[in-house]
Amino acid sequence: MEKPSILFTGILGAFIVSCGTMVLMPHGDIGGLLPQVAWDENQPSPSDQYPVKLTGGDGHLPGQVAYTSNGCFYCHSQQVRDPQYGPDMERGWGIRRTVARDYIFENTPLLGSMRMGPDLANYGSQTWRNEPAEDPKKPTKRDKKWILTHLYQPQTIDNNSKCPPFRYLFETVELGAQPAANAVAIEGNKQVIPTPDAEHIAEYLLRLDRSHELKEAKIVIKPKEAAKK
Amino acid sequence: MTAAPTSTTPAPTQRETENVERTLIDQSARGPVLTFFTTAIFWLLVSVLLGALSSKKLHSPGTLSGFGFLTYGRVWPAYNVALIYGWCSLAGMGVATWLIGRLTRVAIKAPGVLQLGAWFWNAGVALGVITILSGYNSGLEYFEMHRAARLCMFVGYLLIGVWGLILFRYRREAAPFISISYLVSAFFLFPWFFGTTDLLSSAALPGVMKNVVNAWYQSGLFNLWFGSIGIAAAYYFIPKIINRPIYSYGLAKIGFWSWVFLGGLTSMTKLSGGPVPAYLVTISVAASILLIIPIATLTTNFVRTMQGHTGLLAYSPTLRFVFVGTIFFSVAAALQVLTALRSVDSFTHFTWWGYGQTHAMLLGFFSMVMFGAIYYITPRLVGCEWLSRTFIKLHFLGTAYGGGTIIVLFLISGVGMGFTLNEPAAQDMAFYNVQQGGGWGHLVKTYIGYGLFGVAQFIFAIHFLFMRLRIGQPAGEPTLFANPGEAH
Repeated sequence: MEKPSILFTGILGAFIVSCGTMVLMPHGDIGGLLPQVAWDENQPSPSDQYPVKLTGGDGHLPGQVAYTSNGCFYCHSQQVRDPQYGPDMERGWGIRRTVARDYIFENTPLLGSMRMGPDLANYGSQTWRNEPAEDPKKPTKRDKKWILTHLYQPQTIDNNSKCPPFRYLFETVELGAQPAANAVAIEGNKQVIPTPDAEHIAEYLLRLDRSHELKEAKIVIKPKEAAKK
Repeated sequence: MTAAPTSTTPAPTQRETENVERTLIDQSARGPVLTFFTTAIFWLLVSVLLGALSSKKLHSPGTLSGFGFLTYGRVWPAYNVALIYGWCSLAGMGVATWLIGRLTRVAIKAPGVLQLGAWFWNAGVALGVITILSGYNSGLEYFEMHRAARLCMFVGYLLIGVWGLILFRYRREAAPFISISYLVSAFFLFPWFFGTTDLLSSAALPGVMKNVVNAWYQSGLFNLWFGSIGIAAAYYFIPKIINRPIYSYGLAKIGFWSWVFLGGLTSMTKLSGGPVPAYLVTISVAASILLIIPIATLTTNFVRTMQGHTGLLAYSPTLRFVFVGTIFFSVAAALQVLTALRSVDSFTHFTWWGYGQTHAMLLGFFSMVMFGAIYYITPRLVGCEWLSRTFIKLHFLGTAYGGGTIIVLFLISGVGMGFTLNEPAAQDMAFYNVQQGGGWGHLVKTYIGYGLFGVAQFIFAIHFLFMRLRIGQPAGEPTLFANPGEAH
């Protein structure tokens, strides 16, 4: 064993090196990022700002809380990498790479470390996944009903999906004179309707759009090209 | 406390004195160490069940999907918390407490403090697992617990860790033993990583800094907490059992300092290509490649120390568990180096490969070493020897082959998944398709991997319960795989 004084000094030094380079240094670089704003001449307020603060005082949308608590981020990432790292953009997951500025208003960004399912960083954007409009199962622009159906029973949309069904986010109620607008299934004289959590998750997903051009992350694929592919 | 020599009895030899002293130190550690082991084994069983369920959901996603608390996105983090903070950390702290007593030759004073710490920690883990299953998640991987749970664990840790460091302060022997350096560094660094991450993750830190802190924490957790405690135990038990000093103390020192300095710098590779400053990833890649230094020194030391004594592996359960554990350490650490390479990362990123890596560290290396240590320590605390060598054999086989299956299948399915991910034409993402490959791997992992591993752990738990009830062989002769001289 070393002399205790050397041992403790060394260990403390190791911690300082580790915390300094891995936490303090990046904090100095990206800790103070502000949204990118564009000004028109003669206008008192910015004409364009990105990103904008999400509703909810702590930077959390209700849907993000439900998305986190059900562990969606263990299978779905929310980050688009540069083409040199992988075909993220070719897949239609985004038209540019995502950067630190995209996430400044989020309390805990759900970047994810696993892609058992598709990346969702730009789920709510017009060009997500380049899908042909004529495919009835996969509309170019997914809507709330599509998401809720997928949440209730993913295998009805993709037979091979490994996404678990989230039946507990739905409740079965009496079928009235006619089915509710948001009913995802009708079973005899009952209908299945989403709980607020399911609705929130759908609303949250539709708001995910990180395709606004940033000066540090130029758009790589033009939106028109993306739609054609 | 040793028997005073009188005129009628011959003076006790130094060896006898040391034996008495050792027994006294062991007895002083008895209460807390047994509490650590018992609760750790409880969490081991919990995590095996959760792990098997989460694995099953990867090939049949509909399993038990009607229950919110059993959805994959909750079972998986609950499994990790139970495994990391329940089984691994508690077993590690138990073994470390006992080792500190032995190495410093100090009897543990006021063991109640350690007991209290252990129960605080346990309450924190229980709270963490329950809140995750009922729908809380911090969004930070391997740190998903609710803040209340973390606080509980931290209070528990302070009682345990500070007590450990106080013992070190009153050491009677500064034995030139490398284990104590690893233990002191683990006990000193863990609260800094844990506490800093807790504070920063609750503070209004903007955006991706949370993910950066999260990745940084993982290097502290896996390398400097589990890595260091496991290495400390291996450095103690291997020379102890083969009764021979470690091969090279100089190498051990190089290994220690390079491990402590590099260990905390490696995990930003988890964010490669992500929305973080690129130099973070570059530093981590460089640090990961430099990990070759501690890996090479540690491996050389363990292998050269064992050289000519491998025959003992046939007899001593502790030696077999610990030595196989150190092999897994070399594998797990080498995987860390390999994964850092850009060419490898390009088809392992965002896949199960990473889980294979953590499981190699937790199940292959750390758990193996802890099992070996528990087989050595428990008889010295309860006063009888393990009941059945068959039980130990079955436990070893199940752990090695079951755990090995889990690790290998995570790695293989990870690579398969990576190739599919890199194929943009695979728009329908065949990699999560049960029929088109990927599914079979998880199927085998659930039934063979977790099946064998789980059965082995239940046998171990029953065996340990017998020990606590003092059902075993008479003290004195350790239960070996085979008696020396016997054919095996």
